[in-house]
Amino acid sequence: MCPNNRTAQPIYVILGSGGHTAEMCKINQALMQHDDLKQYQSVRYIVANSDDTSEKQIRSALPALKDSDFIRVPRSRSVGQSWLTSIFTTLWALLWSCWLVWRDRPKLVLCNGPGTCVPYCYAAYLWRLLGRLPAHSKIVFVESYCRVETLSLSGRLLLPLVDMFVVHWPALATRYAKKSNLRYFGRIL
Amino acid sequence: MHLSVVYVTVGTTKFDGLINVVTSAPVLCALQKLKCQKLVLQHGNSTPVEDSELQLIHEKYGIQVDQYKFRPNTADIQAADVIIGHAGAGTCMDILNNGKAGLIVVNDELMDNHQLELARQLASEQYLYYCKVNEVSTKLASLDFEALRPYEPGTENMRKFIEALNELMSH
Repeated sequence: MCPNNRTAQPIYVILGSGGHTAEMCKINQALMQHDDLKQYQSVRYIVANSDDTSEKQIRSALPALKDSDFIRVPRSRSVGQSWLTSIFTTLWALLWSCWLVWRDRPKLVLCNGPGTCVPYCYAAYLWRLLGRLPAHSKIVFVESYCRVETLSLSGRLLLPLVDMFVVHWPALATRYAKKSNLRYFGRIL
Repeated sequence: MHLSVVYVTVGTTKFDGLINVVTSAPVLCALQKLKCQKLVLQHGNSTPVEDSELQLIHEKYGIQVDQYKFRPNTADIQAADVIIGHAGAGTCMDILNNGKAGLIVVNDELMDNHQLELARQLASEQYLYYCKVNEVSTKLASLDFEALRPYEPGTENMRKFIEALNELMSH
């Protein structure tokens, strides 16, 4: 990792489990294709330690990616984990996200629904409020394609604070028409 | 329409209802009438069908049945004339992205089944069909799979999203 990459603010893309990652692959492919202003070049992919498939998936979609484009982070909760231990692992994951966002100062946090993305969005929101992130840095959430009438839990947690919240289907667009940050372009996948 | 190869998939779920119904007499009769020769069952965490029963099906209906728990299924999807699957987003996308005829079977036993919303939406736009477990045989006999619309990815909408993102980033 060259130091310039650190000072030039990166974009954080938060990857999660299977379906979410497949959708994020398509969004990123389109982003690279239409990057006329060259502003989406320095992307760091946040991947949970225990997630072996997401990195493979995105690498086969974008073959030019390097090892240093990925940041491995602890997972907040594994399937089947007891709630008592998951309090500690969630706190640990939250501390990690605060530290990484503080260190890298991403100009954009882009995510699409896996639970791992929630602490990164809150961290970015917090550090922007406290002035560690520039006021013009952004948080963008794309709701999962399979959410037609109701928002996901991540979506409900993040709708109040993200700068742009994208839904794929008309029922959600109508239901949340009053939210000024909610955008509907038709299904983008 | 001939449905020579039928692929049944439950993803990672346990959906005994679907596995049972596609190996029941009414559905096998309907498949036989549609010239089905091969039935591939991806049963995931559902209870597999007994080998003796598979043998009986072959003898009685002339349908060869292969079953497995999990494996990379791109080849199975591509080889199928119709895909019968659970309402998972992955299964829906596999059907649409491969231009396959699809019948989504809703699992009534799942309580919070938001994935049903997606199947219903896609069916309302005629990209696939969906039904309940007890409707599979009648649907197979009556549905016109050739009337389904081909799915186009939302490329133009994606471009609009990226323009909006560029606009947002410029402030």
